[in-house]
Amino acid sequence: MANFLGESYMDIDDPEVHEDNDVDMIIESSSNKEDDKERNFWKGSTNAKPDKFEIEEGSLELLRVFYKRFFPYKTYCYWLNYSIDPMDKPFQNREFNFVKPGDDEVYMRYLSFDTIEEFKNEVLRVCPKKIDIGAVFTAKPKEKKSLKLSALKPVEKELIFDIDMNDYDEFRTCCSGATICEKCWQLIAVAIKILDSALREDFGFKYLLWVYSGRRGVHCWVCDERARKLSDDERKSIASYLGVIKGGAQQNKKVHLYKNSLHPSLTRAHKIIEEYFERVILEDQEVLKDEREWTKVLECIPDDGVRRRLDDDWRKNSSRHSTEKWDNLLAELESSTKMTKNQKKADSLRVCKIEIMLQYLYPRLDEAVSTKMIHLLKSPFCVHPSTGRVCVPIIPEECENFNPMVVPTISSLYNEINDYDRSHVKNDGERSLHDYEKTSLSPYIKYFDKFVQSILKETLAKNKAAMQMSMEF
Amino acid sequence: MYSNTDTNNKRTLASSTVGGERYEVKRHHGTKYPHLLNFYSVPPTEEITIDEFESFAFDRLQVLKALEGAILRNKSEDDVKKYLEETSNKWLPLHSNESSKAYLVQEERRKDHISHFILRLAYSRTEELRNWFLKYECALFKLRFLRENPTEKQAFLNDENMRWKSLNQAEKKLMKEELNACSIPITTDGEFCDLFEIDFEKVPDLVARRAVYLKEGKAYVPVTQQLSLVMYEFRQRLAKALELASKSFITLRNERIMPMLDEIIKQYDGRTQTSNYSVINNPIADNVHQLVDHFPLCMQHLYQNLCENHHLKHYARIQFNLFLKGIGLTVEESLAFWKKSFSKVDEDKFQRDYAYNIRHNYGVEGKRQDYKPLNCMSLITKHRPNSGEIHGCPFREFSQPNLKAKLVQMGVRNDEHIREILNLAEEEHYQVACTKYFEITKGLLDKNNDSIIIETIEHPNEYLNASVLLEKNRKKMSNKDK
Repeated sequence: MANFLGESYMDIDDPEVHEDNDVDMIIESSSNKEDDKERNFWKGSTNAKPDKFEIEEGSLELLRVFYKRFFPYKTYCYWLNYSIDPMDKPFQNREFNFVKPGDDEVYMRYLSFDTIEEFKNEVLRVCPKKIDIGAVFTAKPKEKKSLKLSALKPVEKELIFDIDMNDYDEFRTCCSGATICEKCWQLIAVAIKILDSALREDFGFKYLLWVYSGRRGVHCWVCDERARKLSDDERKSIASYLGVIKGGAQQNKKVHLYKNSLHPSLTRAHKIIEEYFERVILEDQEVLKDEREWTKVLECIPDDGVRRRLDDDWRKNSSRHSTEKWDNLLAELESSTKMTKNQKKADSLRVCKIEIMLQYLYPRLDEAVSTKMIHLLKSPFCVHPSTGRVCVPIIPEECENFNPMVVPTISSLYNEINDYDRSHVKNDGERSLHDYEKTSLSPYIKYFDKFVQSILKETLAKNKAAMQMSMEF
Repeated sequence: MYSNTDTNNKRTLASSTVGGERYEVKRHHGTKYPHLLNFYSVPPTEEITIDEFESFAFDRLQVLKALEGAILRNKSEDDVKKYLEETSNKWLPLHSNESSKAYLVQEERRKDHISHFILRLAYSRTEELRNWFLKYECALFKLRFLRENPTEKQAFLNDENMRWKSLNQAEKKLMKEELNACSIPITTDGEFCDLFEIDFEKVPDLVARRAVYLKEGKAYVPVTQQLSLVMYEFRQRLAKALELASKSFITLRNERIMPMLDEIIKQYDGRTQTSNYSVINNPIADNVHQLVDHFPLCMQHLYQNLCENHHLKHYARIQFNLFLKGIGLTVEESLAFWKKSFSKVDEDKFQRDYAYNIRHNYGVEGKRQDYKPLNCMSLITKHRPNSGEIHGCPFREFSQPNLKAKLVQMGVRNDEHIREILNLAEEEHYQVACTKYFEITKGLLDKNNDSIIIETIEHPNEYLNASVLLEKNRKKMSNKDK
């Protein structure tokens, strides 16, 4: 349960999962009748009070509407297939995992689908409150029971990253736990910027899909072929390369840098952080506001004298603003660096400022998610069960302006489409719009379309080149 | 004789397209094995005797197993090196070209070459075996590579065509700042040392440590980090070759070779001691309880259960009975022991349901096979216990909390020790966990006894014997002191 409430993921071997894909779900009626019911439901809602309806019927019906009218099946399946028709191994051998609706956590594991229709029908039948995507295997996961264990091996999977606001709770002052506001979203935004640039510039990846997890985190799907083919060991090395924040709750200083040089990747991260540190950390979070907060910062300084002097000073002037206190800290560090004759000490004091800045704004990654190919991760465009928000893509260049509070929810989409249908009478000859185009979901799906198209184009070009190669021989 | 096989081999190599190019290089050196190091790309094609086949394989296995023991028990790199040196010299000596006059380096290298390929074939059978072989062959190659002198290394790499794209001065200048930040070594004339441009996937260890400059998927690796590149290449090639070998293994139906390969794999399972397992003279049923302190954990567990419940289930009975047989109990003594232990079972039922099996184990019933006491690998892999069954290897079959409780019960009180054993068990190094348990409970870790490396426990009876001998030696020592 706890696993589910967090932005959850699961190992394929997780023993806690109920494995009963044979048990049917709660839908009672045959599919035909259900369609009727659906239609009535829409008709009924246009003349009566939609708001009240939502409360009465519960969100399951809204979820059903979402899957019926908004979920971008085609683009989604083409994405995972990494080519347009016909559906092929990347899609057909892909493991999916559905969580059934209802209060219990009932998982349907090792699902896989041969066609877009099969996927769509199953989604509509089950109406999963969560969809997870796993790895592509050597065979179809749904045939697991009839396969030898050795015949079902993971072969590829997007390289994924998970950034969760949870990990910032130790200093987040605006909110805590599951809540999120525009202030703390900035922490995530900076993390996105740093990780995005590292993946592109250091590793040369191009196809990065950033997705809001629906509550207080983001996922990154690196879809380049080279990324998909990485072995677990190679994933581990990347996660370690990008893992700067080390240590748990019992460890206050979490960043330790080499004293005499800063790796180019960290130099770039530091440059990004410098743009935001003052506004996000000092003004919004006010991490030096009171003693409890500033102690955490001071504990990162490797010198008793500096710590004590600052602490004394701030106790006397505790009303001083965080930005001013930060200036005190920098000044103190600089003068101490000059004063000391111990070269090692000077180096560690000099680098301390950067260490603190990285500790606060360098991405805090959940390493386990990234290192295992078989790891399941919540799919884009599913709905967060506790907020009702759709897991929509985020454009990394605009991530600062992304506002998680206004992300479409299944009930807001329901209202929007009703409003639209009520107020628009379709003229003859006018192009009929997709349902999503009538709502605020439109820009997200359009962005996703564009993203998937760019990948498909590359596959196409590659195939063409391969074709030409073989023609030449 | 040697030169004969040598020319034969040359002929086959020269005619094969695979070895063609490499052959040219080697003829240039005038010897078959110009280098101590070997990537084992070309299989040996000469004829060897059955004796050689067997002894070469076993000798190499000794080295790999010694390496395993040292590495898993977290010896420092220097200790591992030293230990490897000793075992190598004993089983599989390999000398550099500098000492080619004093030693028969060609003979040594031939043995190294052939033994590698025999084991490669034998160990290609299952994934578990392949992984084990890959891991310790890599470790062996790495230590040898580190030991070799730079000129020899370079000559070897040149012959193996291990060349990477080097950066020229202009290219280096373009990324001067970044290279500086990555602490790329600078040569005496103030320039950067040689740098290779390599796909980042090939140097995972350097990427993980942020020890290289990365740009758009390429890693810039200084010549000083060459080892990472070489090891990547070695590992990749061997992993692929093992996959291939496993496929050919299926089609291999050589009546002479198969039994030998089976025998070699058994070595991984534990030493095959055909007779005289025991160091105890004429043990009898009534003595068994006096030996309990020398039992390994698996047998302690069975014995405790037997005492409490006066019963053991089928596989547990076999496991324990064969262990008793290994201690040296005769079939009569063994029957006496079981009869006494199964005190709640009446005579008729005992004779009817149990005695036959006990005698069967001793080979005096049925097909009269003389069963050997089960070694650790069989206990770990065969007949895993179902619910209600207690046999097998506790380091594998116990949950972590239960194993911990058991260890505490057996007197392991030091948290550090408990954690170490639990970790080894969790990482599936069951035998090493057992060995550690031995070292801890026998006090081998207490007094600066780092020099004593007991070999990894491979057999419950070996554990018992080691324990009994240790006690004898200690008694002797203390008598001397008096």
